[in-house]
Parts: sequence; structure tokens; C-alpha cells
Amino acid sequence: MTSAVRIWAIAMNTLREAVRNRLLYTLLFFAIFMIGAGVMLSSLSYAESERILQDFGFAAIRFFSVAIAIFVGVTLIHREVDRRTVYTILSKPLSRAEFLLGKYVGLLVTIWMQMAIMVVAFIAISTMTGALLGSSHAVAFTLIAVELAIVVAVACLFSAFTTPLLASFFTGGIWAVGHLTRDLRDIGAASPSEAIQQATALFHRLMPDLESFNYATEAAHGLVLAPSDFWLPIVYGSGYVAILLLLAIGIFERRDFL
Amino acid sequence: MERTPTEIVRVENIVKDIRPGFGLRKKRVLHGISFSVHQNEIFGFVGPNGAGKTTTLKVLMGLIRATAGRATILGHSVHETAFRRQIGFLPESPYFYGYLTGREILSFYAKLSGVGRAVRSERVEQLLEWVGLSDAATSRLHTYSKGMLQRLGIAQALVHDPEVVFLDEPMSGLDPIGRVEVRDLILRLRAEGKTVFMNTHILHDVEMVCDRVAIIVGGRIRYEGGVGEMVAGGEAQVDVVFASLPAETALSFEERFAAQLRGVGDRVEARVAEKVLNDVLRDGLGAGAEVVSVSPHRVSLETFFLSAVERGGEEGKR
Repeated sequence: MTSAVRIWAIAMNTLREAVRNRLLYTLLFFAIFMIGAGVMLSSLSYAESERILQDFGFAAIRFFSVAIAIFVGVTLIHREVDRRTVYTILSKPLSRAEFLLGKYVGLLVTIWMQMAIMVVAFIAISTMTGALLGSSHAVAFTLIAVELAIVVAVACLFSAFTTPLLASFFTGGIWAVGHLTRDLRDIGAASPSEAIQQATALFHRLMPDLESFNYATEAAHGLVLAPSDFWLPIVYGSGYVAILLLLAIGIFERRDFL
Repeated sequence: MERTPTEIVRVENIVKDIRPGFGLRKKRVLHGISFSVHQNEIFGFVGPNGAGKTTTLKVLMGLIRATAGRATILGHSVHETAFRRQIGFLPESPYFYGYLTGREILSFYAKLSGVGRAVRSERVEQLLEWVGLSDAATSRLHTYSKGMLQRLGIAQALVHDPEVVFLDEPMSGLDPIGRVEVRDLILRLRAEGKTVFMNTHILHDVEMVCDRVAIIVGGRIRYEGGVGEMVAGGEAQVDVVFASLPAETALSFEERFAAQLRGVGDRVEARVAEKVLNDVLRDGLGAGAEVVSVSPHRVSLETFFLSAVERGGEEGKR
């Protein structure tokens, strides 16, 4: 049995847990409701009602997907240790790294599936209201999916060594900071102090630059994106996820399950 | 050191320090313990609560890392993973995913353990049958009772047909019938050529099934050897029951033969060393007493265990 098969077995079990969790259906239903509510909001505007509808839809998809990712992700490893289910799992011929990667992949597949349902709702509502849909929408949705991969990896990292409450604070905080870090760097660059310039630049390099995955406005305006707008964030996101998972594995490998 | 062909588990000078709470102070819970488990035996790891039994088992399962020392199973370091295909583990009060059914979880564990798809389903059904959970196979685990979860825990430990089985308090949570069934199952595993390592504090179970034991008290091994040798060890003693034994004669037995006296109605029971039996009988009969019975005194496992615990407690204080 190969490592990939073991990782996939853990991933599919994680997915099965999510599929049987009724609370996630409630969140998903609410997310679709909010995407639909964009129709009412856009009708209040005289101009660019389709753009407002899509802006609102993108925001709802991003917010609810991240909320579900944090909600499930912060308990991902902690609950296995807390409920001691990890004892029987790790006594099998399975490394800790395989277990952690399996949990990560399982949650990511879950979150992506939920996001796909939201995207279907978005496309259906856009088509019904005659709003524009183009290749930039595909790019924007793909990059939200990459952003979610980072959020799940951050949640996974914190879940490997701290409580769900702290992990949700940290993950939520990093997500919020990740969307502000580019602005912070630009503000710092305008500062006369060299120390502030360097500090904000360093902070920008360390924190995930999540705005590099945000092409919602361009898509809603129907702008055509360059290929590098698509590939560079994917490469950056993949590298960031790899570093986060290596850190999580390093911490998880050293843990004692007393 | 090379393991002998029959040595399945080898524990050498394992030390484990833990940090209780957030402080820097460490507490030593295992003080350089060593023992070995031989092929095809049922090995009892016995000790009172908090002695270090589960900690030792967690070191063997790779769930915690020893501070110092070395542990091997089937010649492999416990930190390796591939060899775990050959071992099964039942944790104390096992926990499972409540959203899965009994059949689903056994199939999941079988898959993780490398049981091929062709035989997986058959093996799962066989195990469900063995542990008496066939009727509950399609029920979600959150509906299972503690006893059913314990049976399921045993099933998952055996689903991949391992060579060595580690059981942490296997009789815990079972009713009397369940205990007998698990005891029979453990004996059947030995009959099939498997090696069983069993953590327990139930001495009756040890006497019933174990070939050898190690007694751990306060993180130190106090005894390692055969169960038979353990109960037969020490100086042979006999219990002599007298009727109408004069009080002064009884008191003289205490002084001269270090007898332990106990009054039973109008009778007196004197526990003395076997080597002074003739003297005691002669003096008693000479004083006009009647000998009611003479019987050898066997040191019970319980007595041996309690004395080991007491010794451990006294050494711990020093």
C-alpha cells in the first residue's frame, strides 16, 4: 500500500465526516441564500446592478468558504487528539505526516466541493439576471480556491498544537491580515522611517498576501486578465501551502499524546 | 544488543519525563524500565493506577517518545511505521468516529493496515462475528454501549491478523460474560501462535491467562518472570489450626517460631514456617491441644502484588 493510498484513505474519511455533519449543510444553505440576496441588493441600484450582484456573490462565496474552512479546520487535528481517535489510527502502518496530509486533503476537498456548489448558485443567478460571465470569472474562482488552500493549511498548522478557540483566533487573524498586508506595505513604503519601511516589507513577505488571489472586481467588470495573473498566484499559493504543511508536520511529529 | 529469535518486544532502560502543566519542572514517570516479551506468550504488564503501564504502552506504540532508552518490537524501532502491519493495538477505553458504522470503521482500519480489497470485506465480517457485533454492524458508533466499543476496539486490533497484539485493560467496561469471552479470545490468540501483551490491574485475569508478568510500581519494574514462579516464591509456610490451645503455649509460638496467630472461634490458627512444623505440632499436642488441620499456605498473586506495591511505595519515599 503506497503512501498516497493511505493519505487518500484518511482524506476520504475526513470528507465522509463533513458530509455527515448537518451543521455544514446549514452554513452552505445560508451562503447560497446570501448569494441570492444579491439580486435584491442589486435591484436598489440604478446602474451596474449586475456588477453589484456579482461583487456581492464573490464576497459571499469568499466569506462563507473561509468561515467553513476555519470552523472545521481548527478542530481538524485537535479533535482527533482530544477524542483519542488518533491512538488507534497512528498504531496502524501510517506515519504522522501521512495522517496530517490526509486530514488536510480531506478538508480541502470538502471546502472545494462546498465552494463548487456556491459557484453553481452564482452562475445560475448571473445567467438568470443576464449578468456577464467570462474567463476572468474562472480565474477569480480558481484563485479563491487557492486562497482557501492557504486558509485550511493555516488552520491545520494551528490545530496541530493549540486549542480550537486559539486556532480560530489565529487563523481568522492571519486571514484578515493577509488581505491588508499589501496596503500595510504600501503605507510603510511611504514612511520617512527606513525601519518602518523594512518592517512592513518583511511583514508582507512573511504573511500570506491574500489580495494576490482577489480578482473579483476585475471579473465583475469583465476585464481580461493576463496569464501571469493566474499562474503566479498559483505558484505563490502552492509554495506557501507547502511551507505551512511542513511546519505543521514538524510540530505534529514531535507531539506526545499523553 | 541483538534480540534472541524468540524475543518479540524488548524494552531497555526506558526513561520518560513529562512536564505537568506549563512549568519548566519535569516529572519522571518511567525510571529506566527494562523487560522483554517472548514469542507466543501472554505477557501481563501489571501495576496499580498511575504506575506507568499506559505510558509504557504508548512508548511502544510510538504515541510518545521516550526521554532515554530503546524499545523494539519484532526487532524494529518503535519509531518505524511499516512494521506496524504486524501489530495490533487496543487502547484503554477506545474512542472511534461516532459518524461511522461498525462495518465502515473496521473496513477503514483494514484499509489503513494494508488488508487487500479482495479479502477486506470477508475479514471485516469475520471479526464482527468473532466479537458479537454482526447485528450492530450497520449502526452508527455513537449509538454503541461502552462494552460494544470495547469489543469493536478488539476487532480493529485484530482486523489485519497481526503477529503481536497489545491490549490496554482489555476487560474494562465488559460484563462478566464479555470478560470470559475476551479471556477466551486472548487464549485463542496464543493458540494461533500470536504474542499478546496485556496491560491490566485485574489480578484474577493475570492468573487466568498470563504466562509471564512484569509488575510496575511508581515507574519502576518490581518483578519480571513467570506467574507460577511468582506465587511459588518465598519461604514455604503452613497453617496449623489447634483446638483448646492454652494461651501461654500460643504466645510461646509467637516468640519461638515467629508464628502469626489468628483466633477463629475457640480455635487458634498459627501460620509458621514449614521447617518448624514438627516442633509446633509437638509442643501443641504436648500442651493438651488438639490439631484440627494442617495445610500449606500459598502466597497469592494478590499478596505478592501488594507487597511489591508496598516496597515500591517505601522506596519512593526514600
